[in-house]
Amino acid sequence: MPILPRLRNAFRHLRDSTPADRDLDLELRAHAEMLEREKIDGGLSPEAARREALFETGGIEQVKESVREVRAGAFLASVLQDLRYGARTLARTPAFTLAAIVALALGIGASTAIFSVVNAVLLRPLPYRDPGSLAVLLHKGRNPVSAPNFRDWQRESRSFAAMGAAQGWQPNLMGGQEPERVEAVRMTSEMLPMLGVPPFLGRVFAPIEDEAGKDHEVVLSHALWRRRFGADRGLVGRAISLDGEPYTVVGVMPPEFRFPPFWQTGAQLWAPLALDRNPSRDGNSLRVFARLKPGVPYAGAQAEITGLTGRLEKEFPGTNRDVFVRSLQETVVGRVRPALLVLLAAVGFLLLIACGNVAHMLLARSAARQKEVAVRTAIGASRGRLVRQFLTESLLLALSGGAAGLLLALAATRVIVSIRPLGLPSIDTLSLDVRVLAFSLVISIATGVAFGLAPALASASRDLSESLREGERGSTEGRGRHRLRSILVGSEFALALILLVAAGLMIRTFVALQAVDPGFDPRHVLSMVVSVSGSPSVEPGRRGVFYLRVLDRVRALPGVRSASFINHLPLAGDIWGFPFAVEGRPAPPRGDAPTAAYRVVLPGYFQTMGLPLRRGRDIASADRLGTPGVVVVNEWLANRFWPGADAIGKRIALGGGGDGPSDWLTVIGVVKNAARSDWTAPADSEIYVPLLQSPRYLETRFFAVEYLTLVVATSGDPAAAAGSVRTAVHSIDPAVTISEVQTMEHAVGQANAQPRFYLILLSAFAAVAILLAAVGIYGVMSYVVSRRAHEMGIRMALGARRADLLRLVVGQGMAVALAGAAAGLAGALVLTRLMSGLLYKVPPTDLATFAGVTAVLIGVALAATWIPARRATRIDPMTALRAD
Amino acid sequence: MTAQTALLQGTLDLLILKTLSAGELHGLGISRRIGQVTHGAFEVKPGSLFPALHRMEDAGWLTSFWGESAAHRRAKYYRLTKSGRQQLKAETEEWGRVSLGIAMALHAT
Repeated sequence: MPILPRLRNAFRHLRDSTPADRDLDLELRAHAEMLEREKIDGGLSPEAARREALFETGGIEQVKESVREVRAGAFLASVLQDLRYGARTLARTPAFTLAAIVALALGIGASTAIFSVVNAVLLRPLPYRDPGSLAVLLHKGRNPVSAPNFRDWQRESRSFAAMGAAQGWQPNLMGGQEPERVEAVRMTSEMLPMLGVPPFLGRVFAPIEDEAGKDHEVVLSHALWRRRFGADRGLVGRAISLDGEPYTVVGVMPPEFRFPPFWQTGAQLWAPLALDRNPSRDGNSLRVFARLKPGVPYAGAQAEITGLTGRLEKEFPGTNRDVFVRSLQETVVGRVRPALLVLLAAVGFLLLIACGNVAHMLLARSAARQKEVAVRTAIGASRGRLVRQFLTESLLLALSGGAAGLLLALAATRVIVSIRPLGLPSIDTLSLDVRVLAFSLVISIATGVAFGLAPALASASRDLSESLREGERGSTEGRGRHRLRSILVGSEFALALILLVAAGLMIRTFVALQAVDPGFDPRHVLSMVVSVSGSPSVEPGRRGVFYLRVLDRVRALPGVRSASFINHLPLAGDIWGFPFAVEGRPAPPRGDAPTAAYRVVLPGYFQTMGLPLRRGRDIASADRLGTPGVVVVNEWLANRFWPGADAIGKRIALGGGGDGPSDWLTVIGVVKNAARSDWTAPADSEIYVPLLQSPRYLETRFFAVEYLTLVVATSGDPAAAAGSVRTAVHSIDPAVTISEVQTMEHAVGQANAQPRFYLILLSAFAAVAILLAAVGIYGVMSYVVSRRAHEMGIRMALGARRADLLRLVVGQGMAVALAGAAAGLAGALVLTRLMSGLLYKVPPTDLATFAGVTAVLIGVALAATWIPARRATRIDPMTALRAD
Repeated sequence: MTAQTALLQGTLDLLILKTLSAGELHGLGISRRIGQVTHGAFEVKPGSLFPALHRMEDAGWLTSFWGESAAHRRAKYYRLTKSGRQQLKAETEEWGRVSLGIAMALHAT
């Protein structure tokens, strides 16, 4: 059966089962029976009577069809009439219409914008085959895993269809123009087939390629392939130079492919990872990904891994504790979900406030339209017809507001994407897709019905004679309607208060974050990553010389006060935790040694960063290979291990145990605690060793030790010095790459980007909310005053003083506002708990915030009722009484 | 819609309104009454009667309800509304003007 007739049939079936249609059927059958009875009474036989009756009726189905046609036409005509009438009514009051559309556009726009973020980040599945069965194996929190552990887990577990490992990599891409440092990932050959995304060009890695010596192949991201290689399809099979070595391009991934979805999120190329045959179980650098076998739940895999790592832990103590199997999706979005849900709730409240506002504007207007309604009812318009008319108007308003809101959302999402809030995964895939459009359409219609229904029912159900009377006389308005509006405005205040509390808590959090002391002084400091990979300067004999020459050249630049190098910059860089031993203390069991963040610096780092040296001396140029090993520690370490004693002269050894005296490092200085990778992380042990005493950084050929971060303190704007510093570095070796050029203030800003993002959004929502609530109460009180002008006139004529009237009106308005605020406080007490993950050093029920925003809200309510109240006192009693 | 059918439709509406102005009736009753008062000049078939009734009900001139016929059978009855009466008045005046005009036109030589 072709589709069209089938559809028509289905439609007919649907239509035939409506009550109206069944009613029509009954009516026609009754008609035919009566006709038949008439004929029998006239002397016809029952058969003949039935035949003639049917003949005269002309076929019940045909009659039904023509009735339906008439009805459908009438319905369509009346809908068109409603639309025309509604549009005309709205156009007649442009100020009202504009105000309503603006309020709705703000509510719907904000909701759509936040929903599009939620859609991109939380709802859209990760772009891999069957992402629901992908898992991550995490070691002690979110720490990486060692190669032998990965191999053991991979070999011995049965829950997984595949398991692979990946490791971050930042090679220098040579050739072409200037060399460039790119974000990349090395991964075992299981990874790409496991993700199940076929390459756009060429192929992915074969298992053989993760053998040492055969790992010089590379798969490019679509973006890098286009940007750097002009989308040349002939590139596959040719070699490119990474860190000065040839890598054969075997494939290009499709444009939407991103991996990994957390941690190294900007990877632009992927290469095979050859795992060392005999590495240490302490060297943790791998991220382990896996795909569950069909039917195996995460809990089942976790149980197996717990048993497996328990056995391994017995064999290799301290290396297999706390290993967790988590869903990849959850690992990616788990941290941001609460924050996004808070934002979604906030925009939901905003939308409700906007709805409330438009609802009572419509109520006020419908009161003014009572006469019109009364007249239309008098000439026979049914109640349903009137409700439909009012709803058509509300929907017209809501859809116009929705359309404007969509434009607003489009602009807002552009801004959100451009500020790239850190830590929001897949935010760059944000777009207004079908789901977002459907969302905004649905909420537009829902809001239209929500704010339109109450006024429509209120209008349509009014007693005719009452409205005719009331319309004529400027008496007080009906009780029920007034209460409805008071409830609406009160609710607006309640919701606005909750939003204000949320924004207030974020402001307090932000103030607390600003008060955090990073230890160093971020002002006037410029930083950039200098990588010698693949350049002539990478050679063991030349690396140290290169760094020293760069410092000489940069320090000589005008406007530069000092300069130095560090391996990992605080906040912006990596953190390597190294186990260490303290001289004179018994060695703890394996795996329980204290660890310290491992920093490698050149002389002048502390001075450049403004990080105060508390005791002892800075690392000097004389501290070089061949001289006794020295180390600078932070205060936290010094106080922890030598409390009450002078740390200077004490000795520590890296790597867990001092085998010989040459490994002992003597503490020569103690510096203030500095921020680590996370702005609010508590202080922990840090050690600073001289670069010139570190063979690892001077000689080892491994990408992770072939770059350093140059820090430069300037007398003027640090950003302005970037060009000359860059030129100075390249004048010594043009083949090194310079990346991540930023001021330290920017790095600090980035560290707080996420709370700032939530602060800005919540504050903006709260500001709009309080504005709408103020407009709401202003509107209601103005209306009350204008409706009660007559009564005010009488009161004044009877001797009421202006102060009495002022108190009367303000009192009435404030009663509503205060009731709303009280409800809002109760709601906020419950709801702000959900925010606790976003807050820093502020409890979700912070008294100062609650008190402060309540005061603000009451102030706004007072101001908004004061203006109409003043108007009431200016009523001339004679004019008011004569007005009728 | 041509002028002729509009006129015919208007005529039927007017006849139904007039018939119901005397009291409520079901479909067959309306059809029989129109046949009686016009001495058989108009025979209203269900195919035009029911669409007209439903259209007029939608327009708010008529309301309907289920009741019992003289023969103790359930039947749907129609009744004029306030706006139906106004409509009858307006259409009667209109009809008077039109028929007078037509009569004059036909008698003119």
